Amino acid sequence: MIRYIIKRLILMIPAILATSLIIFIAMNMTGGDPVDSLAPENATEEQIEELREELGLNDPLLVRYVKYMGGMLRGDLGVSYVTKKDVFATFAERLPATLKLACSSVLIATLVALPLGIYTAIHQNTWKDTGGMVFALFGVSMPNFWLGLMLILCFSLWLGWFPSGGYGDGGIRNLVLPAVTVGLGFAALITRTTRSAMLDVIRQDYMTTARAKGVPDRKVIFGHGLKNALIPIITVIGMQLSNALTGSVLAETVFSWPGVGRLIVDSIAKRDTPMVTGSIIMCCILVCIVNVAVDLVYAFFDPRIKAQYAKKG
Amino acid sequence: MAVKNKSVENIKSRSLAEETWRRLLKNKGAVFGMCFLILLVVVALLSGFIYDYDTQIIQMNMKEALQPPSAAHWFGTDSLGRDIFARVLYGARYSLLIGVGSVTIGLIVGVTLGAIAGFYGGVVDQIIMRCVDVFYSIPNIMIAVVVVSLLGTSTVNLLIALCFTCATSFCRIARAAVMTIRDQEYVESAYAMGLPTWKIILKHIIPNCLSPIIVQVTLLIGTTIIAASSLSFLGIGVPSPAPEWGAMLSDGRQHMRDAAYLCVIPGLAIMMTVLALNLLGDGLRDALDPKMKK
Amino acid sequence: MKRFLSAMLGAAMLLSLLTGCGGGKDSTSGSGGSDSSNGSSSADSSGGSSGSGGYKSDLIIGTATDINNLNLQEQQDAANNIVLKTTHENLVRFTNEGTCVPCLATEWEYLDDTHIQFKLVENAHFSTGDPLTAADVKFTYDMAKDSYVSSVLSNVVSTEVVDDYTVVLELAKYDNELLPSLASVPVAIQSKAAYDSGMENPWYVGSGRYQFDEWVEGQFCRVVKVADYWGDDPGTADSIEFRPYLEASSRVIALQNGEIDVCIDPPINELQYLEEDENITVEEKTGSRLFYFAFNVEKAPWDNQTLRQAVACAIDRESVLQAAVYGKGTPQTTILNRGLWGFYDDMEGFDYDVERAKSLMADAGYANGLSTTLLIANSAPYTNIAQVIQANLKEIGIDVEIQTVEDATLKTMCKNGEQELYLWRWNEDSKVDFVYRDLYYTGSGSNYHHYSDPHVDELVDVVNTEKDEEKRMQAGIELQEYLVDACPQVPLYIANLVIAYNKNLTGTLLFPGGNHDWSHAYVAQ
Repeated sequence: MIRYIIKRLILMIPAILATSLIIFIAMNMTGGDPVDSLAPENATEEQIEELREELGLNDPLLVRYVKYMGGMLRGDLGVSYVTKKDVFATFAERLPATLKLACSSVLIATLVALPLGIYTAIHQNTWKDTGGMVFALFGVSMPNFWLGLMLILCFSLWLGWFPSGGYGDGGIRNLVLPAVTVGLGFAALITRTTRSAMLDVIRQDYMTTARAKGVPDRKVIFGHGLKNALIPIITVIGMQLSNALTGSVLAETVFSWPGVGRLIVDSIAKRDTPMVTGSIIMCCILVCIVNVAVDLVYAFFDPRIKAQYAKKG
Repeated sequence: MAVKNKSVENIKSRSLAEETWRRLLKNKGAVFGMCFLILLVVVALLSGFIYDYDTQIIQMNMKEALQPPSAAHWFGTDSLGRDIFARVLYGARYSLLIGVGSVTIGLIVGVTLGAIAGFYGGVVDQIIMRCVDVFYSIPNIMIAVVVVSLLGTSTVNLLIALCFTCATSFCRIARAAVMTIRDQEYVESAYAMGLPTWKIILKHIIPNCLSPIIVQVTLLIGTTIIAASSLSFLGIGVPSPAPEWGAMLSDGRQHMRDAAYLCVIPGLAIMMTVLALNLLGDGLRDALDPKMKK
Repeated sequence: MKRFLSAMLGAAMLLSLLTGCGGGKDSTSGSGGSDSSNGSSSADSSGGSSGSGGYKSDLIIGTATDINNLNLQEQQDAANNIVLKTTHENLVRFTNEGTCVPCLATEWEYLDDTHIQFKLVENAHFSTGDPLTAADVKFTYDMAKDSYVSSVLSNVVSTEVVDDYTVVLELAKYDNELLPSLASVPVAIQSKAAYDSGMENPWYVGSGRYQFDEWVEGQFCRVVKVADYWGDDPGTADSIEFRPYLEASSRVIALQNGEIDVCIDPPINELQYLEEDENITVEEKTGSRLFYFAFNVEKAPWDNQTLRQAVACAIDRESVLQAAVYGKGTPQTTILNRGLWGFYDDMEGFDYDVERAKSLMADAGYANGLSTTLLIANSAPYTNIAQVIQANLKEIGIDVEIQTVEDATLKTMCKNGEQELYLWRWNEDSKVDFVYRDLYYTGSGSNYHHYSDPHVDELVDVVNTEKDEEKRMQAGIELQEYLVDACPQVPLYIANLVIAYNKNLTGTLLFPGGNHDWSHAYVAQ
């Protein structure tokens, strides 16, 4: 299995190369010149030329790309055009906030979605089913930033329970609103998957057998049913986790949460190529790691898959 | 042999469609979603005849700015004095156009690539699928931000920016479906009869992966509408003064406290539409699932 | 084994979540206090609010934009400047009355037209303890001459150290506005010793009332009080924290909830809630940020002066003001930022008059109208302004397509002369030369109008170097009248400076341009 993990990690490399090349080219083709947002508005031609030279913007695109990737191999993601800080250091500084938000939002989503999915599956095609699904779908039907604003209005302004934004001391109080905002958006997909996975399982013969043997309903559902329905549910939770790593930029903006998503979007606006490229590459690596982790969790729950890995490895 | 096969298939598919339809009607959520969407399409088509874009949708009227809902303005007016009711109705065109448009582009590109990858396998498959993986690992909002910065803001560029996610997910579905069908006997026999590859893909393979694609289309239209509104929030969506819902919502958020209706109404419009699409999509998924037959 | 591994993984995920929250809990107890983790020489703040002193120990300022660079000579943003103003000082300080008063320099005199001598205070020292001497001034200015803020000192040829506390600046030509230049943040005096010592980020070291403590990008930047500040009036609050709240509404709510003490740039339409709130003071004053609508005068048909004037007459500035900032601003006719020396707004100009606009259109030879594009940045208030102008110009037969781009793209396109019409702004509250020369002088990098006129260039030079106050004033007025008539831009309005803060906040020192000085401010208790 170790070999399997290593193989998966090696497979990441071409994906990362391709991603970085695409991002690098895209960033360099965009309309704005980084120098124009960096130099003061009254800078002279000479200063601008100097700045271009300093940032290495005068080399041809491919040369710059190769230089950049060369640096990356040595663990050097470059220096931000804007802040002059090390890209990796900045990314690392932002990462804890992102991880915190991603994990807690997925946790909230799962806590809402699992019971709801099971409930709607048991009551398939009744009004309970419809009501439950409508509730689950609310989160995904609202634009994320709108939900965030409404939550701020409710819980921060009117009730005064939570701060309206900011990272604060990194404690739970600041985390609740952004996590709920992002989490409710994820809940729908997990509920949907749980419901259909449960529906699949409920129709299996062994469930009928278990019931016929007189096993109590609760035990049939959770003991036999849920356990066998877990694989697709885990897949989708893992998928949401990797989405949450970079996809919560809207909640991050609304709540001034100092996460990676906001860093990337801000850097795109400033044409801070090293920052954008570096951060996106790091995100890709993270996403790949999450995916490998999800694969391993499968093995934990499904002996068949475990056997497969063992064979391959 | 082939002729016989085809006619059998036709009968089967016709009855399948009827069966699906019957089952879909049993699902209350899906029926609601369908009705709402039909209404919305009608509104979108009619709004072009009812309202004049230049004088009733985008013309500002500072004297009537920020009026709360009243008999004259059912949903009130915005900070430039424009009638929100008219703008929301008219805005349905933009949101639907963006949703349907970018999903269609994504569908064509994705299914083609997926079918090719699944059908040929080997190196072609590897190249296509690794590219898909790359796009899959970057969240759609990031791709869209980069693309829009690259191309500039316009409705067409927005469509392109948003179609990537759709394309990747269609590509995966199509590939998986093609790979299971590729080795079935009737495809092999069609091959043996000397039918050109593109004809086999078009006639035999694509119809067989239709049901997951239909479900995915309804769901992705919703996702795309949300993504478009998110881009407006980040300031790079449909350029003003077009009454796209996301743009209205993001303009209205400045008035979250003094004129909440500016924020609530377009928000509800988006929510209802996406909810309807999701309910329909879920209903279709259940109805098309062969395992659901009892 | 495999089962164990996967269990570990799950546990690790859960753990990361728990530690995240747990870590938060730990630091909650210490919140409110300025935990001076690395400041050995910092103030003796013991955390919590020091009740006896009658002030809240920390002052928290909610900013509208992220702090992005604290190296003085690599930035010019207001968000950075307000931090740096607490930690660094200049030879002279610019006041709201438009004069410069002694700061690190006690006195100065012109030895001749091109040499000015400064005497420095003798007891000033940096937060590191090193004394501040003439060598540091020379070091700072020489470094600035090589940086890309060098235009601030473009007129300074060299800096000579006479003795430890005397420096002489050699100028290329006599300059009416040398002192305001020396008062700007990028040329605040830095420590040569800090750079020589090889420490990390030596630019953090200044001689101000506060010293740099910690900056976590996107979260906060904190400065703490210098215990042994050299001057007579040290800061009061033990620490000042600058926190970005990007979403305007959430910044306002944070102020109302008491999470922050100052809310920079509160959204105008939410002011009523702040005004109703008895714990909050809203301060409003005339600003210095001029929003304008402009032409690329190199590109046909906008090289036609009469056509430009027709457009100027067609724009309803009152509606623009209303749509952009709900009327919280002042419309103006002249191209100079309000509050600057020689501001003159009594010329006839081009008021909103559709009939006159139409006849000017006919005079210009465009009686049948034309189509064009308006380039704008994708942020407020430009989108609102653009929609009003689009509607205005439609009335005189000009079809305007709005093209929205990001700030950086707009600057690049304007610099390259790719635009036809555009909206932009200019902010200046101390030097007229930074308006005239930068925006209208032939070949200036920020002359996005691509305007070039020898007569204007000459007048700009006169205003900059003429010693006779009356002649200088005359040239200034003539220049403004000439430019308004030439009409490379249509000035729209000056936005008001609005700021909201805790009603117990004292010691504010606000500047119309937004570079406020917070080093005296504290919240009384």
